[in-house]
Amino acid sequence: MIITNNLSKHYGNHVALDQLDLQVKAGEIYCLLGANGAGKTTTINLLLGFIAPTSGSAFINQLNVHENSKATKQFLAYIPENLMLYPSLSARENLDYFSGIAGKKLSKSETSNFLEEAGLQTEAIDKRISSFSKGMRQKVGIAIALAKDAKVLLLDEPTSGLDPKASNEFGQLLQKLREKGVATLMATHDLFRAKEVATHIGIMKDGQLKQQLIASDISLQALEKAYLETMSYQILA
Amino acid sequence: MIANTFFKETKELFREGRVRIAFIIVVLLLSLAIGISARQYANVNAQYETAKSSERALWDNQGEKNPHSAAHYGTYAFKPKYPLSLVDQGVDKYTGTSIFLEAHKRNEAQFSAATDQTGLARFGDLTPDFILLFVIPLLIVLLGYNSFTKEREMGTLTLLKSQGGTNWRWVLGKWLALFFPIFAMTTILFLVAGVLLSGLKDFGVFSWKSLFAMYLVFLAYYIVFINLVLLISARVKKSGVSLVAALCIWIVACLGVPKAASNIAETKHPYPTRQEFAANVLADKKEGVDGHNPWSKEAKLLEEKVLKEHGVDSLHQLPFNFDAYRMQKGEEHEAEVYFKHYNYLKNQFSNQSKVYKSLAAISPYLPTRFLSMSIAHTDYATHWDFADAAEVYRIETQKFLNDNFAQNSEYGNWEYQAEASFWQSLPVFEYNPPELQEIMVKNTSNLFILGIWLFGSFGVLLLSTKTI
Repeated sequence: MIITNNLSKHYGNHVALDQLDLQVKAGEIYCLLGANGAGKTTTINLLLGFIAPTSGSAFINQLNVHENSKATKQFLAYIPENLMLYPSLSARENLDYFSGIAGKKLSKSETSNFLEEAGLQTEAIDKRISSFSKGMRQKVGIAIALAKDAKVLLLDEPTSGLDPKASNEFGQLLQKLREKGVATLMATHDLFRAKEVATHIGIMKDGQLKQQLIASDISLQALEKAYLETMSYQILA
Repeated sequence: MIANTFFKETKELFREGRVRIAFIIVVLLLSLAIGISARQYANVNAQYETAKSSERALWDNQGEKNPHSAAHYGTYAFKPKYPLSLVDQGVDKYTGTSIFLEAHKRNEAQFSAATDQTGLARFGDLTPDFILLFVIPLLIVLLGYNSFTKEREMGTLTLLKSQGGTNWRWVLGKWLALFFPIFAMTTILFLVAGVLLSGLKDFGVFSWKSLFAMYLVFLAYYIVFINLVLLISARVKKSGVSLVAALCIWIVACLGVPKAASNIAETKHPYPTRQEFAANVLADKKEGVDGHNPWSKEAKLLEEKVLKEHGVDSLHQLPFNFDAYRMQKGEEHEAEVYFKHYNYLKNQFSNQSKVYKSLAAISPYLPTRFLSMSIAHTDYATHWDFADAAEVYRIETQKFLNDNFAQNSEYGNWEYQAEASFWQSLPVFEYNPPELQEIMVKNTSNLFILGIWLFGSFGVLLLSTKTI
C-alpha cells in the first residue's frame, strides 16, 4: 500500500530525508520513531504530495504520489498532530463537509454511524467542535478516515497531548482499522504507544531510517534501548 | 464540492457574532438612508412641482406687455428630479435645480441643495449611494478577509488538502458563500427601492429596466471586491495582514483614487474662473451685433445688409420692425458666443472625464460611480444635457418673442404690447433625459473597464489559488 524507494528531500544543503526505503502493507501499522527533525513529518508530507521529493519516489496503492498527487489522495486519510476542525460546526457537519470534499455524500445515519464507530459519544455528535477535547477531535478525524474508506492512514504524532485514556482509545481505533486492512504509517515520539499498536517500527535519525523492527519480536525495554542507542544517548542505570 | 463548501462557509458566517452585527448595522444604515432620501426626494419634488406651476402661471398671466420686456422678465427651466436619484444622488446636490432663462444671457443653474446646507453638511449625508459604494465593499472586506487565512491559521488547510478536492471548486464554494449574502442584501435593497419608486406619483417615469441595470452595475462592483478580498486572503498567511491589505485596497479604491482623480483632472484640465469666463464671453459678445445698440459698427453693417436685401432706402420701409430683427440677430450672435464658451467648458469636462477613466484602471469605484450616476441621471453629463436643452429653449423663446415683436410692429415702435393671451402660446419647457440605451452607449468605456475588473480579478483569483 505504501512504498518509498530511495526517497529523499533536501532543502539546500540540509538533508531532511535521505534515501528512505519503506513498505507498509495492508493491515500493517508502521510506527516511525525519532526525535524532532529526524524526517518523520517530511516523510508524511512527501506521501501526502504536499512537497516534491528531491529524488526517489513514493507510491500509494501503486500510484506514484508525485505524478498522481490528486489520485493518490482518494486512497488516504491524514490526521495531523493537532487535528483542527471548524469550531462553529458540529462533529456531524465537519464530517459531512470533509467527506464532501473527498467526493462522498453521506446520509445523516451514515454520519452518525461513522462517528459512533470512531468512538464519539452519541450526544456529542451534534455538538459544536469548539467544545471538544483533542481526543474527541481525533475521533472525528478517524471518522473522516472511516467515511472516506481510506486504504492508507497517515498519522503525524496523533497521540501527542492526549491523556492516557484517550490515547488508549485511539490505539484501539487504529487496531480496528488494521483489522479492516488499512495500512497505517504513524510518526510518533511515544515508544509505549508504538509498541502497543504497531506491527512494524522504524527508528529515524537525521533523515535516515536507522533501524526497522517487527513489533511483536521486541519488548518495550528492548525497543527503548534500541531507540536510545540509535539516538546515541547514554543509557542511564 | 462547490455546494458543500458554500453551505459550510455560509453556516460559519452566520454563526459568527461579527457577521450578524455587521449585517444588522448595514441593514439599519440602509433603511435609515432610504428613509432619509425618500423624504428629501418627496420634499424636493413637491417644491419642483410648485415652483414649476407657479412660474408658468406668472409667465402666462403677464398681461399685455412688450415681448422684449417679457424676454427680460424671463422664466425658469426647472431640472426634474428622477426616481433613481433616490438611490444615487450623484452630483445633483451641487449642480443647481433651475436655470433662469432671459434675453441676451445664458445663465448657469442655481439654487443647488448644497448652498442651502450649513457647514455641518461637510460631514456628508447618509444616502443609499454612500452605503452602496462605501459600506458594502467594507462589509465584503470584513466578511472575507480571513476566508483562506483562517484555514491556514486553524490548521484545517492540510486536512482539506489531504482530502483530494479540486482547488477551483473549493475556491468557487468560498466565493459563492461570500457573494450570496451580498447578493441577497443588494437584491432586497433594489427590490425595496423599486417598489418604493414605482409607487411615487408625479415624479417622472420610473423604469425597472434602469433600476435593474444599476443593480447589475453594483453587483459587478461587489464581485470585483469579493475577488480582490479573496485573492489577498488566498495569498497572505495571516488574517491580520489580510485584513490590513484588504482595507488598504478599500481605502485606495474608494477614497484615495477618486479624490486624487479629482485633483489630477482639475490640475491637468482646469476650468476658467467665473471672472475669466465672464470676461471672455463679454469680449466675444462685443465682436458682434448688440441688440440694444443700433449705433455700433456691427448694427450699422446689419442695417445696410437688410436694406439692400429688401431693396429699400429706409428701415421704416421694411415689412417688419427692424429693432426686433436686430434684437434677434443680437440674440443669435450671443447664443453663438455662449455656445463657443460652453463648448470649451464641455471639452474640459470631457478631458477631465478621460483622466477619471484612465484612473479607473486602478479603482473599480470610478467606473461604477460613473455608470450609477449616469443611469440615475444625476451625473454631470446629464446636467450638461439639461443645461443645453434649457439653452435651446431659451434661444427658441427669444426667437418666439422677437418674431412676435418684429411681425406685429413697425420700426421704432417700442410701445408695442403683445396680447395677454400670447404668453400662453409659448410651449412649456420639457426635458427628456437620455434613455438607458443611450446612456449605456455613452458609457461603453466605463462598462468595458468594469468588465475588465470583473473578469480580470476573477481570473487572477482562480489562477492564484491553484497553488494554495
